[in-house]
Amino acid sequence: MALAGARSPGQATLALAIALFLAVFLLVPVATVVYVAFTDKGGGALTLVNFLDFVRTDLFVRSFWNSVYVSAMTVAWASALALPLAYLTTRFEFRGAMLVQTLGFLPLVMPPFVGAVAMQLLFGRNGSVNLLLDEWFDFKIGFMEGLNGVIFLQAIHYFPFILVNLSAALRNIDRAMEEAAQNLGSHGLRLFRRIALPLALPGYVAGSSLVFVKVFDDVATPLLLNVKEMLAPQAYLRITSIGIDDPMGYVISVVLIAIAVATMWASARALKGRDYATTQRGGGGLVRRRLKPRESALAYAVVILILALVLAPHVGLLLLSFATVWSFSPLPDGYTLAHYARVLSDSSVYIKNTLLYSSLAAGIDVAVGGTIAYLVLRTRLPGRQWLDWAASTALAVPGVVLGIGYLRAFYGVKLPDGTPLAALWIVIVLAIAIRRLPYALRAAYAALQQISVSLEEAAENLGATKARTVRRVVVPLMTGGLLAGFVTSFATAAVELSAVLILVQSNSDAPLAYGLYVLMQTPAGRGAGAALGVIAVLIVAICMGLAQLAADRSQRARGLDI
Amino acid sequence: MSKAAGIEIAGVNLSYGSTQVLKNVDLSIHPGEFFAFLGPSGCGKTTLLRLIAGFAQARTGRVLLDGQDVAPLPPWKRDVGMVFQSYALWPHMTVARNVAFGLEERCLPRAEIDRRVAGALDLVGLAAYADRRPAQLSGGQQQRVAVARTIAIEPKVLLLDEPLSNLDARMRVSVRRELRSLQQRLGLTTIFVTHDQEEANTICDRIAVMDAGVIQQVGTPMELYESPANLFVAGFLGSANILDDRAGVAVPAGKRLVFRPQHATLTAAEGAAMRGTVANREFLGATVRYAVRVGESEILVDAPFRSGGELRGVGDRVGIALPPERMLFLPA
Amino acid sequence: MFRRSALAIGLILVAGSAVAQTGKVTVVTSFSKDVTGPLKKAFENAVPGATLEVQNRNTNSGVKFLEETKANNQVDLFWASAPDAFEVLKAKKLLSPYKPKATGIAEKVGSYPVNDKDGFYSGFAASGYGIMWNERYVKANKLPTPKDWQDLATAPYFDHVSISAPSRSGTTHLTIETILQGEGWDKGWRTIKEIAGNLRQVTDRSFGVPEAVNSGQVGYGIVIDFFAFSSQGAGFPVKFVYPSVTTLVPANVGIVANAPNKAGAEAFIEFLLSPAGQEALLEPTIRRLPVRPETYAKAPADYPNPFKDKNLQGLLTFNAELSESRTAAVDTLFDQLITFQLEPLKAATKALHDVDAALRKKDNAQVRALAKEARDLIAAMPITAAQAASPEIRAAFTGGKQKSARQAELEQQWAAFAKEKYAAAKAKADEALKLAR
Repeated sequence: MALAGARSPGQATLALAIALFLAVFLLVPVATVVYVAFTDKGGGALTLVNFLDFVRTDLFVRSFWNSVYVSAMTVAWASALALPLAYLTTRFEFRGAMLVQTLGFLPLVMPPFVGAVAMQLLFGRNGSVNLLLDEWFDFKIGFMEGLNGVIFLQAIHYFPFILVNLSAALRNIDRAMEEAAQNLGSHGLRLFRRIALPLALPGYVAGSSLVFVKVFDDVATPLLLNVKEMLAPQAYLRITSIGIDDPMGYVISVVLIAIAVATMWASARALKGRDYATTQRGGGGLVRRRLKPRESALAYAVVILILALVLAPHVGLLLLSFATVWSFSPLPDGYTLAHYARVLSDSSVYIKNTLLYSSLAAGIDVAVGGTIAYLVLRTRLPGRQWLDWAASTALAVPGVVLGIGYLRAFYGVKLPDGTPLAALWIVIVLAIAIRRLPYALRAAYAALQQISVSLEEAAENLGATKARTVRRVVVPLMTGGLLAGFVTSFATAAVELSAVLILVQSNSDAPLAYGLYVLMQTPAGRGAGAALGVIAVLIVAICMGLAQLAADRSQRARGLDI
Repeated sequence: MSKAAGIEIAGVNLSYGSTQVLKNVDLSIHPGEFFAFLGPSGCGKTTLLRLIAGFAQARTGRVLLDGQDVAPLPPWKRDVGMVFQSYALWPHMTVARNVAFGLEERCLPRAEIDRRVAGALDLVGLAAYADRRPAQLSGGQQQRVAVARTIAIEPKVLLLDEPLSNLDARMRVSVRRELRSLQQRLGLTTIFVTHDQEEANTICDRIAVMDAGVIQQVGTPMELYESPANLFVAGFLGSANILDDRAGVAVPAGKRLVFRPQHATLTAAEGAAMRGTVANREFLGATVRYAVRVGESEILVDAPFRSGGELRGVGDRVGIALPPERMLFLPA
Repeated sequence: MFRRSALAIGLILVAGSAVAQTGKVTVVTSFSKDVTGPLKKAFENAVPGATLEVQNRNTNSGVKFLEETKANNQVDLFWASAPDAFEVLKAKKLLSPYKPKATGIAEKVGSYPVNDKDGFYSGFAASGYGIMWNERYVKANKLPTPKDWQDLATAPYFDHVSISAPSRSGTTHLTIETILQGEGWDKGWRTIKEIAGNLRQVTDRSFGVPEAVNSGQVGYGIVIDFFAFSSQGAGFPVKFVYPSVTTLVPANVGIVANAPNKAGAEAFIEFLLSPAGQEALLEPTIRRLPVRPETYAKAPADYPNPFKDKNLQGLLTFNAELSESRTAAVDTLFDQLITFQLEPLKAATKALHDVDAALRKKDNAQVRALAKEARDLIAAMPITAAQAASPEIRAAFTGGKQKSARQAELEQQWAAFAKEKYAAAKAKADEALKLAR
């Protein structure tokens, strides 16, 4: 795998450029905020005593273990949701597969605030389901109570990560592996369990480690369920308290970052010994069987059931956007289009900004993420693994910390005409991009791992330079993975709020999520907020569809049907 | 060991989309035979093999295994052992686990599984590698593990899909001999798919030559060599001279004259039915191969090499003599 | 000629000052569009040429933003409900003092002085705290209608009440502080904890409470009045009542230090305090209480009037200094004793409610004594009022040199204290219950 030394200068420059990018837009801003964790409050001397306080405080230790529990259980439940869908779509000729593919990523697109309100109205203690259960059967289920409520919401929200990665890995299994097992007497679920799943392990581990870290660091969902005894909400609450300059919020942020890096490292370690790529040749995926009518009905039932569950927030959102009043009842009192009327008139600037910011952010993510993946997997530069770790820390940095850090780092920088750098909307784009970089990075990494080096070497052998090889051979082959990265970045960027709230300085620069936040501050704004949320989801869905179409068309034109 | 089974294939037609891959295939494989499917790539030989294994479905026709119609049986119920071209060893399992797989699927008692795994690995000479992972083995060793994996279940039939194509030339010779001796020891009916006629000739009992989905001829290597049924078979197995009447010999319309290089001899040019000029001469050790230009055709003539014997040179005018009994007239 | 030039100069001066007042006035505010919209329009009508640029952020983001951008400040005004935010900004020297020229503004509304004593920020409106409830929820669960704070501490309300944490809501903090100043440190905390024992949740933002009541997730909420009224305006089935002793909390506006358009900022403040601005507060979407007493003549008959209504008068004079001196301690005590120990507190409270029910059926002196002991355990506080205001404790939060312990250590001490006490209280209550049955 070692590549000629003569090309190292180009690679080294690229690596340095990436390192600089990460330093300027991630590490330095975060450091300016988080260094407080290492100083003595008031004194300013360097010390680790705050970390000592962290482990001595019951509340923090309790929160830590709660976070670990919630994250692990979320991975378990998200896997339970993803596995049947992955099985059905990769193993069978199943038209419902299209349905799963297009709708399966929607749970990632959940507008802030209003999504949780919708979920409470459906599944809360006095939500639709429980009101009906109580009326008919005299009992209630605590879907949204405490830690279980968080696990429920998070599993629904993040299961697409596991679904996408697992499906991709299953599709890349050499068909001969399965046929050999069938030949020796195995079939059906037993074969799936003994052969397909172990071979798909890298994809599964990639998806589930991402889910673990994301849930561990999620602030919004626990807070909206009023669960405060988890690590990330604790950090947020302390950092955003007024008047108390508390280092503990930053101490917790450091712990969050450390856990994120540790998880990534552990998952990489776990897969190290397994040499999957070399013995896989043709790909071709598992053999697809046609379903008999009864099996087909069962399959559709399972798919619809799971999709209904994971899309429940969106259903609730839709209902809320048309509702006049919805309070303590299974369904709204009445319906109206007034909310949409109110929102459509002044949301064009939000829509424009959201499209612009999210596309740019996703583009930056794919470019930087792809480059880091290439540098890590294809070069022998010393310390390249650190680029990966550094980029991955972005998962764990709370949005509010990044926002403050950007202000601190860039507000002093002035443009020639006196406006501060941080006032430009490009800073918002960068904040959004940085926070999503790890998604694109993981997707690019997985895609590159499945491409044999010999394909690039053949190109170079025929006279192509490194750059041309990347452009003409590597990138087209990575399109599937890069697209997946673009999609997840875009979808989640469209609903980013916490960093935006600090950085936005005028309404004309604001994206949809901000408009939504403004609306959700009043009781009368709830319906309009939901309407804006639905618009946000629709926009993202349409853009995803278009991106998928464009990618499919270009792949087909080149004869590389994914 | 296992009871050898015969295979009957009757009237099989198979298409992928609009392309017909197997056309009216009829074949009969005797129990205990080492049978080859031989042909160029794309001729349908692998498809026919996969049909027997259950990985392809025919539109028409029947496949009988040991007298039983296997069409309704899925691959996992057919009891045929298949060795894949890529070996398809599972990287997440050790060699021993790979070999034990089929036995575990049959729910045999642990002691029996261990015994058979040990036996199979012993048979292929890899007993010491039981705890290694496939990634740690060489190509030849991987192939032997794949073979051990299938014979462990003592199948009725052994199917080998181009098993030697990924090995280097020297390994190919030794491994094919090992396969032959293994097959004879076990008495297993074996089907061997290959595009290499030398492999097929050296170890198989009978060969089915295929081209474009059609079985061209079935017979022992010698039969096929001596009495090819058509031009394709003649050209595929060993070198052959195929001539029409432009060579100066009377060839009936719609037919071609076919003969082997070693059956012709070089004579003096005067009075010979075929006359030409030596265009090339190759020294092959035991023989010298002359390429003689006759009219527009080039005819190959092999002469045994005897030190001190007569050698023609390039540019010599020569004649070619061919005994009538060595002349084959095959449809064009 | 002199007269003409004098006139010209005069005109230029007037025009100049008018120009200085106009232009863009930037305000960072936590008020919703319902409030800023009408006021912006009215302001721009009253001061032609001025435009109000509204940057909507939640309070803490607003404070952090001003802090981080002070080197090149582009904001003129900070406009919010939370008085603690203004104290923080004042302490960090991020505000410029300004004495409004408007006359006819009251000195005090309820218990609070309208303006900051040092003149760094001015009050322009007030709101009252009260109890809001969801009619459908209450009906479905057959619950009573509350009238007073004390009601919320009684048994039927168990697990049906919501409040936002004082550490997250400056106005809630003032309400808590008012209880402490009115009833005294120990009794005040006792009252607070008795109500807290009935809580279903403690939210981390003010709006979380009315939101939960609106959806019917929670039955009762301790909220600021305009949330309840705007919820009713939006059609939610909720009702609201001011308790017999209500806290009025002021809403403020202050000029940011080094404001780019100081004149414009001053004009805005003057507008807010002018009769026109104060009248605008009466609009249904805004529904704040003006600080100009004469405005109430224009208000509808049932509009609360802090200068006339008995229950809004305020029984005490709020001691702002005292509040200031212990604000961090009170916030942290609430969080460590209540917010993060809610389950143990509720468990003990439930047990006591059961004991009371048993006592009503059959009185028993010993059981009553045990119950009293349990209640005393719950009401116990880890520090006294004097300690709470002391320099040592204060320094723990600011990082000063006199601190006795670090903030994290204090928090852990107080949390452990509460955990122990509540467990002991529950044990006593269980004991009493066993005796009673």
